[in-house]
Parts: sequence; C-alpha cells; structure tokens
Amino acid sequence: MTTRSPAVHEPKFGTPAWGGFDPARTRGRGAADVRRAFSTATRLGWQMEANWTDPVLFFIYSVAKPISSALIFVVMIDVIGGGSTRELRGFVVVGTALWSFVMSGIAGLAWSILDDRERYRMLKYVYVSPSSFLIVLLGRGVARIAVGAIGALITLAVGIALLGIPISLGNIDWPMLVAVMIAGLVTIVAVGMMLAAVCLQTRQESWSYPEAAAGALFLVSGAVFPLSVLPAPAQLLGYLSPLSWWIEGVRRAIMPGVGIGALGGPGSIFAEVIGRASPSSPEIIVALLGTGALVTLGAIVGFRLSDHRARDRGLLDQTTGS
Amino acid sequence: MAAWARRVAAGSAGSPAASAAWSRRQALATDLRTIVGRAYPRVRAMMRERSWMFFEILLPFLATSTFVFVYRAVHAPPEYVGFVVLGGAMTAFWLNVIWMMAGQLWWEKSQGNLELYFAAPMDVMAVLIGMAIGGLILSSSRAAVVLVVATVVYGVSFQVDQWLLLALVFGLTLAALYGLGMVLASLFLMWGREAFHLTQLLQEPVYFISGLNFPIGRLGFIGALAISLLPLAVGLDAMRQLAFARSDYPKGTPSPAIEALILVIMTVVSLALARWMLRTLERLARREGRLSVRWQ
Repeated sequence: MTTRSPAVHEPKFGTPAWGGFDPARTRGRGAADVRRAFSTATRLGWQMEANWTDPVLFFIYSVAKPISSALIFVVMIDVIGGGSTRELRGFVVVGTALWSFVMSGIAGLAWSILDDRERYRMLKYVYVSPSSFLIVLLGRGVARIAVGAIGALITLAVGIALLGIPISLGNIDWPMLVAVMIAGLVTIVAVGMMLAAVCLQTRQESWSYPEAAAGALFLVSGAVFPLSVLPAPAQLLGYLSPLSWWIEGVRRAIMPGVGIGALGGPGSIFAEVIGRASPSSPEIIVALLGTGALVTLGAIVGFRLSDHRARDRGLLDQTTGS
Repeated sequence: MAAWARRVAAGSAGSPAASAAWSRRQALATDLRTIVGRAYPRVRAMMRERSWMFFEILLPFLATSTFVFVYRAVHAPPEYVGFVVLGGAMTAFWLNVIWMMAGQLWWEKSQGNLELYFAAPMDVMAVLIGMAIGGLILSSSRAAVVLVVATVVYGVSFQVDQWLLLALVFGLTLAALYGLGMVLASLFLMWGREAFHLTQLLQEPVYFISGLNFPIGRLGFIGALAISLLPLAVGLDAMRQLAFARSDYPKGTPSPAIEALILVIMTVVSLALARWMLRTLERLARREGRLSVRWQ
C-alpha cells in the first residue's frame, strides 16, 4: 500500500510555483497592478472611441469639431476687422486648438462615468473589481485626450497651411513647451476628475455638463481674447485658473515673436498689481505649477468625497431617464 | 373603471381580431395619451433636479458671454452682441434637438425601452411628437432665461418693427427644428455607437455653417447652402433681420418673409420625411434585428 504525500493534495500558501495560493492575489502587486489596470482601461477607452467607424470617418470626426470652432472665431474677427492680421488669427487658432484638447480631457473622464453607469450599466462591476476605480477612470480618459490631441494638432496644421498663422518649427521654445504641456496635461486631467465627481452625483442628462463647464472656463481662460477685456472679478478668476497660464505658456512657446498675449496688457489687473505689462515666461511656468497643484489637490479631495457619497447613497448603479 | 369593464366584456364577446380593431377615436385618444405621457417626464424634469439651473442656464450663459467679449475685444458694433445673444438662446433648442430628439431612440434602445415602444399599441410618431413637445417646453425655459439675462447684462436693445412676423418665424423655426429632430431620430434607429459620436459632430460644425455667432451672409455659398438646408441657419437669420430691423445688418440673404416660407417648406418636408423614414427604417430594423440590439 502506498501513501501519497499530503503536499500533493493540500495547497500551501506561498508556494505558487506548483500552483498553490498566491498571496499577491489578495495583497495586490502594487505598481504592476496599477500599470495593468491603466493600460487595459486605456486600450478599452481607445477601442470605444475609435472602432465605431472606419478610419476616414473617424479622422473627419476628430478634426471637424476643433477646426469648426477655430473657423467660428476667425470669421467673427474677419467680419469686424475685414481681414484680420496673421498674429490675431494665430492668437485665436492656437487658443481654440488648445481648447479642443481641454474639452477632450474634461469630457473623457466624466463621460466614462456616464457611459459605464447609464449606458453599459457596468460601473458597479468596475467598482468592485480589484483595480483602482480612479486608475481605470484615468485610463479611459486618456483615449479621449489622444483624440483631442490629434484634433488640436490638425487644427494648428490647418491654421499654418491655410490661415497663415505664424508658427515655425525652428522658432519654437521646446523646453518651455515641454514644461507647460506636462503641467497643463496634469491640470486638465484634474479638472476632468472634478467633472467626473459631479457626474457621479447627477443624472443621465449630465452628458452636456462637461461641455457646459468647459464653455464657462473658456470665458476666463484667455483662449480667444485678452483677459483685460473682462471685468476685474472675472479677470481675477482667469488669473487663478491654471488653464489661462497653460494657454499663455503654449502660445509663448510656439509663437515666441508674436506680441499679442492674453495675460497682462493695458487695463489688466496684472499690470495694475505687478506694475509690468505682462508676465515673463518663468513667471508663467511658476504660476501654472502653483495653480495647477491647487486644482489637482482639490480634484483629488473632491473625487474622494463624491466617491464616498455615491457609495453612501447607492448612486453607483442608479440609472435615470427622461 | 366602468369603461374598462365594458371593454373587457366587449373583447371577450368578440374575436381577438375584433378586439384589436380600434375605432379612429380610440386610436387618436391613445396617441394623444402617448404624446402627453412622453412629454410628461421632460416637463417634470424641470423641477425635479435643480442642478440643471447651474449647468444648463448659468454655464451656457457664460459660454455665450465668451462670444460677446470677442466682439467687444475687436470693437464690434453693439448689434453684433445682440446677434450672439440670440444665437446663444437658440443653442438651447439645437442641443435639445440633437441630444434629446435625434439621439433619443438610440438611447432608448440602449436602455431596453425601444422594444416596449414598438410593442405598445400606439403610433411611434406620437412618441416622437411627445418627445418634441416636452423638449420644446424644457428648452424654452432655458433659452428664455439665457436671452433675458444676457439682454439685461450686456444691454442689448432690440429694434422690432414686425412682432407678428418675428413670432411666426420663431414658431416656424422650432417646428422645422423639431421636425429635423424627428428625421434624425428615425435615422439613428439603425445606428449603434456611431449615433452618439455623430450627435457630437452636429454641434460645432453646425454652429459654424449656421452662423450662430455672426451674420450668415458672410459665408457666401456655404451660408446659402445652410439657409436652404438647416432650420437653425434660416430661422436665426430671419430672426436677426427682424429683431434688429434698424441696424446695419449685412445683406446677402433672403428677406424674412421668404425665409419664413422656406421654414414652412422645411417643416412640411421634415414631418413627411420623418413619418416615411420611421416606417421604412422600423421595417428594416425589424428585419435586421436591430431594434433590441444593445450596447453596440
């Protein structure tokens, strides 16, 4: 009579080489889990964004919105100016191109919540999975940011080729561009998180909220006109918004010789308080980092509070209609 | 209760076919109830969740303000601010048409309600009309607030000589807009996720070719094409001509009376087209099994 080793039948903890229980399955694998959740969510987001049609229609869809937005402002200033200057056109085209990037970043995260809760009814399952909810959400948002980036680049290309905006690759201040783009991207994702936190609490019609919020921020961000045109309290809001500093920083980096800026200028509160006409490039970077850090911290706190309230009130699987 | 009992008794006395053979009056009463029933949640929604006041009135007002300040920055004549305010108010209707009319049947399909609509003893056109009426009331409140607030804040002065024609053009614009919404709703019945993306495509590009923030005559051929195809473009142009009658409005577009006629034609054509498309696409969708396919 032979006896079989109990080791064959009884799984032991900590011996995954022979198929036993892997403690990492409960503990998690730290950065590896985060990386995997993020890349999976990004891939899923991209497929949801892009595989609904053929590449040609997807390309048209991606660029039609930002190009139309830019053309609205170009025609508006042409109607009054009867043939605006290249610098003024450059000012509005760069502003609207960057704003399409902002819209994509803000909408991406909020729409992920609405998509998963209202349409696919998967939010609760995503929530109870081992992946971090916030990481999954960020991954989903990245795909839309990529679509926005494509739209922004094509708008700039159309602006250079057809509208004669003064951008030359040789003149671009690359270190400044890289610095403001990194800081700006983090800030845009943070604003998107805030909108996602709002959409966790609201109903189905919240689809339009990200665009409404972006439209309101557009007013105080100096994207298409100098902030000095606004009343002083609105100007102050603009100087507190990191998006104003980001747009100004990108403009300075890609059109360094152009004299038109959104921040400062005669009649602006910047000129009155600081005593100089406009901020310098290092000041723009410092202001962007400072305001961006505040917004990011606020977004993290706001998202945590919203997440807690959504669980408390059972909002994660609540669907609505109209 | 008594009426219900009589119907049950009549039904049990006759064949199923006889029970299903409704009189014109019964069919009409059911369709009217359908219209009221479908409009009800949209009207009630105005008071149920107050967050819309912030997101759908204040924020769109701020977005409209951006265009006002662009004109102020380039020292445009004051009537251009009025053009923008009028355009901003009409945006509420267009957004309602594309999100809550055009995309609605696709949305109902995703939620699993669409098959119930088609299984119920009612005309689906009545559902579309109910959606349109509910959406119109909902959007009117938002458009009115944006118009009044922006007019007061930015000091817009309207110069109206023909109030009756202005009211007629406004009514016809809404009829044509919601007619177009019904056509798009029928079209979207066949689509999956592309409906959502194409709805987004109907925003900025349509704002541009409709001249939402500038006189459409400036767009030349594209503007003329928009006037002949888009209710938003032709309605807005006619309303601007009527609301700023004594201003130096750029020439190059038809007179308001002709544009009113264009709107009448658009309304009739879009309602007839919506009815035909709904029937055709419903048949096609049934054949291809698309009415109950969700989450594509």
